[in-house]
Amino acid sequence: MKEARKITACAECGLLVDIPLHLGMGQYRCPRCHGLLYRRGQKFSHIIIMATAALTLFIPLTFLPVLDLDIMGQESSATLFKAFWVVYEDGYYFIALLALFSGLLAPALMLTLLLAILLPIHFGRRPAWIRHAYRLYETMREWGMAEVYLISIIVSMVKLHGMGSLRIGPGFYIFILFFLLFYIAAVWFNPDDIWIDDALEK
Amino acid sequence: MRWRSDIDAGVQLCLHCRKLHPLERQRCDRCGSHLFQRKPHAVIKTFSLALSALLLLIPANLLPMMVVHSLVGNDAGTIMDGVIYFLEHGEAWIGIVIFIASVFVPFFKVTTLFYLLFIVYFRLRDKAHGGLRLYRIIHFIGKWSMLDIFVVALMVGVVQFKNLATIVTGPAAVAFMLAVVATMFATEAFDTRLMFDHETQRSTHG
Repeated sequence: MKEARKITACAECGLLVDIPLHLGMGQYRCPRCHGLLYRRGQKFSHIIIMATAALTLFIPLTFLPVLDLDIMGQESSATLFKAFWVVYEDGYYFIALLALFSGLLAPALMLTLLLAILLPIHFGRRPAWIRHAYRLYETMREWGMAEVYLISIIVSMVKLHGMGSLRIGPGFYIFILFFLLFYIAAVWFNPDDIWIDDALEK
Repeated sequence: MRWRSDIDAGVQLCLHCRKLHPLERQRCDRCGSHLFQRKPHAVIKTFSLALSALLLLIPANLLPMMVVHSLVGNDAGTIMDGVIYFLEHGEAWIGIVIFIASVFVPFFKVTTLFYLLFIVYFRLRDKAHGGLRLYRIIHFIGKWSMLDIFVVALMVGVVQFKNLATIVTGPAAVAFMLAVVATMFATEAFDTRLMFDHETQRSTHG
């Protein structure tokens, strides 16, 4: 018997392609532009564990210092949030808010949305607001910049260590761990999976 | 081999959940997003946003990113001053990272966006594949231009010693951030399928 197929279009070049209706574990790419058509994600339960772990790590990030600087006996430290607060107090509201949003809030929001989407599906339900949560998640994906913030901490360390004695706070290590878990959860999650009818059985 | 696109078939793809719909439908019945065959006003939106980014990059590179107040006086540094500082102090790799993220990438993005618009406007179908490859690159590296903004925020956040030394955000940060945001929106507004369309349209009309 012939395998059931469905027609879809490539989002990057507009080509019509037919792919199997029941997609296996493989990847499907557009024959013309090699854009990704479909890639099977990991089990939802695994993603839920990763997202929960990452969100838990977000709590200590709000108060643990990332950098400690000591100049001639005077000490000053910064947490990930305090950095933006000082910029905000300087009057650069736009920079502070957008950087705060893209560096910290968007990743945390993405994880929350991920749980909001996957938990009901995992327990066999599909409430109507999932589609709104999912659309918001897709938008956040463009604006979450935790990895850029992480690298910028390293650049700041190099810039600062000439000014005084610099200590790396525990917040830095937790941020690395947070980012790794966040990244794994985001990579494992393939949004297409929640629309497939057998998603409930996964 | 002749390719058949969604335009030939008269269907439209939901860019959010990737379901195919007939042209009459306004909203996706699966995820609820607005439907369109090609992103609306893609060319004019991308053009105006890329142009504003280009203009904003001028003050972003000429004005100081941050101002250091210390016992030895005030020191206002532009992006390039930071790069040169690292190159001269033996930390060349950090200088190179900052140069690529803050100077090269924004200009590369704007140039690429204009090139993509050029491909669409002059219907250079044979350049479409290369154009798409460039688009994927600028889409991927887009957010890395924000690196300098985060560095400024962290430096300002840490160096707050009332009389010894303080760092204050400089005016270039605003221009730089707006430029980065503009290029990100411009990349979003562009529709890569436009570059591939002319061949299929020609083949359907004869």
